[in-house]
Amino acid sequence: MNSRWTDGSMQARVRKRYAAERRFRFAGLFAVGLSMLFLAILLFTMASRGLGGFTQFEAALPIDFAKTDLFLDPAALRGPDADQTIAGTDLEGAISKAAAETFGPSAEQMFGAAAARNLGRRLLKDPGLLERRETFWLPVGSAIDVAAKHDGDAAAEKLVAQLQSKDQLRRRFNLDFLTASDATDPSAVGVWGALKGSFLTMLVTMVLAFPIGVLSAVYLEEFASRNRWTDAIEVSINNLAAVPSIIFGLLGLAVFLNVMHLPRSAPLVGGLTLALMTMPVIVIAGRNAIKSVPPSIRDAALGIGASKMQVVFHHVLPLALPGILTGTIIGMARALGETAPLLMIGMRAFIASPPSGISEPASVLPVQIFLWSDEVSRGFVEKTSAAIIVLLLFMLTMNGLAIYLRNRFERRW
Amino acid sequence: MSLGIGLAAVLLIAAVAALFGFRRARALRTGGARLHSLPIYHASHAALWVLLPALLFLAVWTPVQNSLVDQAVLSSPEGKALPSFDMQREAILDEAREIANGDREAGFNPQSSALAPRFRQAESRYATAGAAVALLLAFGAAAFALRRTAPQFRARTSVERWLMGLLVAASLIAILTTLGILLSLLFESIRFFKLVSPAEFIFGTQWSPQMAMRADQAGSSGAFGSIPLFWGTAFIGAIIAMIVAIPLGLMSAIYLTQYAHPRVRSWMKPMLEILAGIPTVVYGYFAALTVAPAVRDLGLSLGVTSASSESALAAGLVMGVMIIPFISSMADDSIAAVPQAMRDGSLAMGATKSETIRKVVLPAALPGVVGGVLLAVSRAIGETMIVVMAAGLAANLTANPFASVTTVTTQIVQLLTGDQEFDSAKTLAAFALGLVLFLITLALNLIALTVVRKYREAYE
Repeated sequence: MNSRWTDGSMQARVRKRYAAERRFRFAGLFAVGLSMLFLAILLFTMASRGLGGFTQFEAALPIDFAKTDLFLDPAALRGPDADQTIAGTDLEGAISKAAAETFGPSAEQMFGAAAARNLGRRLLKDPGLLERRETFWLPVGSAIDVAAKHDGDAAAEKLVAQLQSKDQLRRRFNLDFLTASDATDPSAVGVWGALKGSFLTMLVTMVLAFPIGVLSAVYLEEFASRNRWTDAIEVSINNLAAVPSIIFGLLGLAVFLNVMHLPRSAPLVGGLTLALMTMPVIVIAGRNAIKSVPPSIRDAALGIGASKMQVVFHHVLPLALPGILTGTIIGMARALGETAPLLMIGMRAFIASPPSGISEPASVLPVQIFLWSDEVSRGFVEKTSAAIIVLLLFMLTMNGLAIYLRNRFERRW
Repeated sequence: MSLGIGLAAVLLIAAVAALFGFRRARALRTGGARLHSLPIYHASHAALWVLLPALLFLAVWTPVQNSLVDQAVLSSPEGKALPSFDMQREAILDEAREIANGDREAGFNPQSSALAPRFRQAESRYATAGAAVALLLAFGAAAFALRRTAPQFRARTSVERWLMGLLVAASLIAILTTLGILLSLLFESIRFFKLVSPAEFIFGTQWSPQMAMRADQAGSSGAFGSIPLFWGTAFIGAIIAMIVAIPLGLMSAIYLTQYAHPRVRSWMKPMLEILAGIPTVVYGYFAALTVAPAVRDLGLSLGVTSASSESALAAGLVMGVMIIPFISSMADDSIAAVPQAMRDGSLAMGATKSETIRKVVLPAALPGVVGGVLLAVSRAIGETMIVVMAAGLAANLTANPFASVTTVTTQIVQLLTGDQEFDSAKTLAAFALGLVLFLITLALNLIALTVVRKYREAYE
């Protein structure tokens, strides 16, 4: 062989190999960068479309109740049936009449259900308003709201320009979005009903999945002898963790609804279904956490006369708890974002009031997002993205909590 | 007296029994006796004896009571007057039950209002009986358990035996769930295959499940050939998504484990994992809102006139991105498991880092990576929301990524979320699809786990 390091051909080969090395490294960086870019685009899209959903335009509308044909008695609004009286009054009609008078006939449809709700609330607070002429700042309807955010049609844009030139339009934080429930009018919708449904569903999931998951993790890791039964349990847990979520929905539909006749679209059934889905995650996390507790702890406790149960429940479990909780929170976060199984058990109905118990019909946040994403009305685009921001904030908080727990309490032995 | 009150009373009795047990054991100890078990175990023993039989009874009694009430109502004169047609009778009974519970003011059907008082009567009668039995059980058990409080009584052993039973019961729930899934899917699928022949379902290429109400209506046939669905599922989940996810996930894992500075890795890896934590409904919305129109425009500019706004490509791309962190973390694990000595040997021979990775590390990690990819495929084909929101409903057998295809999960959702009767072939078809989906993902998971396990043994 007469090739040497200083040979031109050899050096060219080395240069080529180094170039390949750089290309490979760049490809790796490119892959990571592309994934991050995608994450950034997704978050940016949701934020730029959704942040507007947390604000709402209000217009100043003078209403003279004496001139409207509402037969509202201030005394009735002070009485015990005030809520029903307001609900039975055509405030929306009164508002659109006043709007047409003030801003011209094209403004008749300017306000929507949100304005009526807002006005009703103010009348309840101060029935004296009925006796005088008063200017109200009321949330505008969806068409105007979208136009004011520069995405509407020509007629609405014209009205917005007219309002803005007279300073009769202002932007406010939309508190109703966080306190109201689903509605047909996009200007009046809110996430509270869905959030409450999610909380109740998660509560049921937690109450069922956590104890069952921890207890079976303890059994499998500390007590079970290896035999056909424990193998079967192990195989089913590993498989359940990988079964598509929609299959759990089919199970819920067939067993909880059709056999056990539990109420449809209730947090109880949703929670049961999600608990079956979350339990394997908790078992797997729990087993890993229990496994990582060193045997010396068990030996020491056994050595001073503790029974096997006492060893597990007094010593091993408390030490494994941070790990178990981390896994539980991650499993719960996944359950919180789950949509498909809940669609199967009928949680896709239009529910306009927050559920008051676990057997009431309810919606949950991800399903609410799905339902709104199906709506044709333009106002819903922004509301859907805003609801997604709320959901992502909850997910991030839960995952952050899990990471904090892991870093703060998990011990390395 | 309702069962709720009975339940509360049982809990109260248990607490009282526990308190008495504790007091008695402590009194024995202060009296100078050497107890076998600590007082707390005597207390738990009493509480368990009160709770378990009574709660078990209540759990069994609740469904029994419902059917007893139904029987009592049906045998009353108003009940006998009900129409014999099953569905109608059920509807009236449901209504009457709701009125009796106060969930509803008045019935749609006048007969249900007449039945409501019967319901209330029967319910209160049986609930009182049930609660009384539960209370008797609780008191009896409390007396029995408390009488056993004695220095030499092994309360701890007894409590631990109960506890052990609880542990076993908890771990059996996993098996029950698996059985429940299998049985419910099988049961409904068998009913489906009585209506539609299995051969048509497995080999048919026409999917149009719209069963018409009348025979003369257009498209009344209702075809249940599932091949287009499985092709669509495989096309989106196993082909397009994997073309995106495998290179990106694998290269990310290689870069993060082999090249990146530990500090960069420590914040890039969690960032990547955020992608895995984003709910699928968000991906679906993103796919439908942003990616799908872009893909359609791309298709149109490329001259594909059939480019659909519900293209397979849009759903597949977004699903691929969702899978990236999954593949990346599986590859990460298997690359980390390759012994350092192999890497060192290759580097010492003068190979560059990339040559070492390509020629030594990756071949050694391959089984783990393959296992990870199989798991990822199983996840992608079971994924629902992205395809429901971004893929189409038309069952096309096409390999054109700009065309619309439909998937198994989309169809399951579509078939089950309308308002129809539960017994129609349409709803039962969803269960048959679910069964096949379950079996496919099960097979993929088992193969993946076997591959991974074999590989682990090779280097330990």
